[in-house]
Amino acid sequence: MAITNSSTTPEFPRDRLSNVSSAVAGPTDIAPKRTTFRKILRSMPLRVKLSSLWLVLIVFGAIYAKLDVAWFGGSLPLQDPNIQTNGFIRETGQFGTGQPIEGMSTSHWLGTDAIARDTFARIVHGGWVSLVVVVVSACCGIMIGGFLGSLVGFVRGRVETFVMATVDVILAFPALVLLLAMVSIFEVRNLFVISAVIGVLSIPAYTRVARANSLAISSREFVTAARAIGTKPSRILFREIIPNVLPTLLAYTMVAAAFVVVVEGSLSFLGLSVQLPTPTWGNMINQARRDIKINVAQVMWPSLALTLTVLSLNQVGDFFQQRREIRGSNL
Amino acid sequence: MRRRGLYRAVAFLAAAGLVAGACGGSDDSAPADTTEESSEEAEAPAEEPADEPADEPAEEPAVEAGDEAEGDVDTEIVEEETAIEYGGSVSVGLEAEATGLRPWEDTCSSPCYNMMVAVYDKLVEQTSSGAYSPNVAESISANEDFTVWTMTLRPGITFHNGVELTAQTIADMFPIQQAGAAGSGAVSAANLVSVEATGDLEVTYTLSQGGSAFPASLARAPLGMVFDPAAAAADSEGYSMAPIGTGPFVIDSRDLDNETTFVRNDNYWATDPDGNALPYLDSISFRPIPDEGTRLDALLSGTINAMQTLRQGTIRDARAARDDDGADITLWEFQGNNLGGGMFNVLVPPFDDVRVRRALVKMGSQEQTIEALGGTGISLPATQWFSPDSPWWSEKVAEAWPQFDFEGGVEILTEYINDPERSDGKAVGESIDVELSCPPDPTLIAAMQVSEQLYTASGLVNVTLTNFDQQTHIGIALGGENGFVGDHKMHCWRWGSDDDPAVSLNPALAPPTAEIAEAAGIPGVVSPLNFPNWFSPTAFQAAVAANQTDDFETRFGLYESIMLEFADQVPVYYSGHTATAIGTDTNVLGLNSWHLPSGELGIGFPAAEGRWAEVFIAS
Repeated sequence: MAITNSSTTPEFPRDRLSNVSSAVAGPTDIAPKRTTFRKILRSMPLRVKLSSLWLVLIVFGAIYAKLDVAWFGGSLPLQDPNIQTNGFIRETGQFGTGQPIEGMSTSHWLGTDAIARDTFARIVHGGWVSLVVVVVSACCGIMIGGFLGSLVGFVRGRVETFVMATVDVILAFPALVLLLAMVSIFEVRNLFVISAVIGVLSIPAYTRVARANSLAISSREFVTAARAIGTKPSRILFREIIPNVLPTLLAYTMVAAAFVVVVEGSLSFLGLSVQLPTPTWGNMINQARRDIKINVAQVMWPSLALTLTVLSLNQVGDFFQQRREIRGSNL
Repeated sequence: MRRRGLYRAVAFLAAAGLVAGACGGSDDSAPADTTEESSEEAEAPAEEPADEPADEPAEEPAVEAGDEAEGDVDTEIVEEETAIEYGGSVSVGLEAEATGLRPWEDTCSSPCYNMMVAVYDKLVEQTSSGAYSPNVAESISANEDFTVWTMTLRPGITFHNGVELTAQTIADMFPIQQAGAAGSGAVSAANLVSVEATGDLEVTYTLSQGGSAFPASLARAPLGMVFDPAAAAADSEGYSMAPIGTGPFVIDSRDLDNETTFVRNDNYWATDPDGNALPYLDSISFRPIPDEGTRLDALLSGTINAMQTLRQGTIRDARAARDDDGADITLWEFQGNNLGGGMFNVLVPPFDDVRVRRALVKMGSQEQTIEALGGTGISLPATQWFSPDSPWWSEKVAEAWPQFDFEGGVEILTEYINDPERSDGKAVGESIDVELSCPPDPTLIAAMQVSEQLYTASGLVNVTLTNFDQQTHIGIALGGENGFVGDHKMHCWRWGSDDDPAVSLNPALAPPTAEIAEAAGIPGVVSPLNFPNWFSPTAFQAAVAANQTDDFETRFGLYESIMLEFADQVPVYYSGHTATAIGTDTNVLGLNSWHLPSGELGIGFPAAEGRWAEVFIAS
C-alpha cells in the first residue's frame, strides 16, 4: 500500500511503522501489555477497592434513578425525589401525612427534608447531576484540552506560546469566580448548560497536562525515528503522541472529576447550578442548613455523599496515576 | 431623564425597604396623629362598614381585630419594674453590616436602623399605641388641608460636635435630603416641596398635595433623623464613618464588617420619666454576623449579649434553646404589618387575566408555605397588609381573601385555558407557563417548591423556578429598562410595614406607566413603586382620599376598600406575617420600656429595631 508523502521524504513501508516504535522503545512499553481487570483489581489496596465500590454504587444509583424517571415512569422501587409527602393529594382532597425534617425510618431510610421529601431518593437522584457533569467535563477536557495540549507540545513554536499563555491566564483566574461569571450569563440553567460551562472550564487543565506529556513523548526515540523516516506530522501526532498521552489523561480524569464534583456542589449550594426542584447534593446541603439545629442529619447525608465521592475519586485517581507513573518510568 | 432617575431612586429605596430588608419596614402602625404635642390613641376599626365585600366565599376568621393570634407572641410593652443601673456594655449581633450611616443617603434595613437610632434622634416617634408623637420636635400641626405643617423643635438640643439644633438646621438638611439617594425618594413620596425656618425653633413644611400622614414621614430615617447639615455637606463620605447626631450615643470606632462601637453621650438631652439622665449604658457595639445560626450561637455562648433576627427559623431555634435547653436568653418578639408573599406582573400574560391570578392563589396553600418557611406556630397567615393586632386590620378583608381551594382554582384555570381568546396566545387546552422567582434563600426555596408542586399537580401549569440574588431580583421587578414594567412574572416580594398605610400603600396604587396614567385621566402621575403594575382608578382615588383626611374611621373604610379590591383582583398574594425578634441575655432589660418626652411608652422594637437609650444591664 503506497503512502502519499512529501517529495523530500522517502517512502517507507507503512506496515513497518509500528515496528519502528516497538523496536526503539524496547519490548516493555508503548505497545502496552495486556492488563486484565482481575490483575488491576488484585493490585488495588483495600481503600481503593472500597472507593471503587462506592463509585460504582453512585454511578449505578444515578443511572437507575434516571431510568426510573425516563423509562419506567417512576415505577421502579425508588421514591419520587420531588414528592412532598405532606403535600396536597388531589385524589383524596387531603394533605399527606408525611412529616418534614423527619428522622430515619423504614419508609424514609435517611429521613425527610424541610418539605417532607425523601432524602434517600434525593441523594440517589442527585448523583445523576454529578455524574453527567463529570462525564461531560471529562469528555470536553480529553477531547479538546487533550488534543490541544498534545498538538502544541508536539508542534511547539508560536502556536504553543499563544495557546499556553491563554491557558495560563485562564488557570490563573480563580476558577469558581470564573465559573460564577460564566454561569450567570445563562438565564436558563439546566443540566446541559451547567455541564457545558464546567466542561469548557476543564479544558485548560487538561491542556496543560497533555502538553507536558506531549513534550516528553515528542522527544522520545520512536517519535524521532518516525520523523526520520518521513512520517507526516499529523500521523505522528495521532499515531504516536496522542495514544501515549491518553492514559495519563485518563488517570488525571479521576482526580479532575473530584474537583468537578466539588465545583458543581459549590454552584448548587449557591443556587447557581441546575434549576429547582432538580435535586443535587449541593442544593440539598443549602436547603437543609436552615434546620441544622433541629436535624443535623439532613445536612450530613448529602455532605457525606459528596465527601465520600470526592474521596473515592481521589483514591482511585491516585491509584491509576501511580500505576501510570510506574509504567511511564519503564519507558 | 431626570424624572426617570428620580423614579429609579424612589423605586429602589422602596424596593430595598420591601425586599432587601427581608422583613424590614419601619416602626409605625396606626393612623397619623395630626394633633399637637400629644397623640390620639389609635382606635380599633370597630364595625364601620366599607364597600361591598368581594365575592369570595368566606371562612370563619381565626382572629378578631386587635387580637393577638396564636403564634403571634409580641412581647408586651410595659413599664420596666427592675431598678435601673448605669454602666455596662451591650454587644449586638446584626444580620448584616449597615449600608451606611447617613440617613439622607443610605438605604437602610433593620440592622442599619439599629445603629442609626443609637446616634440619631427622630423628629417624631411612635408610641406603644401606634400613634405618632413628637420627639425632637416639641409639637407639630397642620393647616386644614394638610398641605402646610408647622413643627416646633425642643430648645437646648445640641449635636455631638456641640452645634446647636435650630429650625435653620432642619431647613438646611432639606437640600441634602433632596439630593440624597434615600432622601430624594422620601421627599418625593411625601410630596414635600419646601422646608423653611419660620422662627428660631419653628419649621414649616409645605407639601404639593394634602398629606394627613406626613408625621409618619418624620418618623422615618430619610426625613426624620436629625443630622448636622454643615458637617454632612463638608464631608458626606466621612459622615458615614463618623456620623454626628443628637442621639444617646456617640460614635467611638467603626471597623467595617467587624465592629462599630458607640459610647455614652454625656450631654444627651432626653431623660427618663423619673428625670434620670440617659443613656444608661456606657457603650454599645454592633457586629455583623450574617449567618443566622452563627449569630444565635454567638448569643448562646456569650460572645455577644444581644442579636436581632427577621427569620422565623431562627426564632424557632431561639425559642427551643430557651424553652428546651434552658438558655438564659430573653426573646423580644414582634410581628407587625410586614408580610411575605409575592405578586403577579399583571401586564404580562397570562397574569393579565384575573382568572389566572385567582386560580393560582386558590391553588396555593398558605399553611403549607408557612410550614416550609419554618414559621409554623410563629407566623400568622396573612390576608391583607395589616396584622390582626393592627387597628387597620379588617375582618371583612380577612373573610374576602381567597382561601385554599384546589379544585376551585383548577376550575377557574380550566375556564381560562379553554377560552379561545385566552391572553397568552396559546392554543385552547394548552397549559399556562408560570415562572416563579425568589431570592436564593433556603426558606424561600422551600416555599416556592411547595407552590411548584401544587401548581404542577393541577396538570394545567408548567412551572419554572428561578432564583436570582436579591439585587437582581429587585432589578427584575423594577424594570428600569422597560419603562418600569419589569420582567417579572410571579415574583416573591414583601408587602406592608408598620408605617401609616399612606406611606406603604399609596405609592403602590398609582399608575405604573405614563400610558396608563394618561388613559386614566391623570397624566404625569406615575409610580415606579407599583410593582405588580396593577392599576384601579377606584383604589387609587381611595388612597388619595385617605391621605387627605385625618379621620380614622374614614381612612379605615378607604383602606379597607382597597384591601377588598386586592382580595378580589389578587394582583398580590400572601404567605405569612413577618415575625421578628431581638434576643438578649436575660439581664439586658428595657427594650420594651423606652419613653417619649411626653412620658408615653414608645412602640418597642418593631422589625427588630431596638431603641437603646433606656436599655440597661441588671446585675
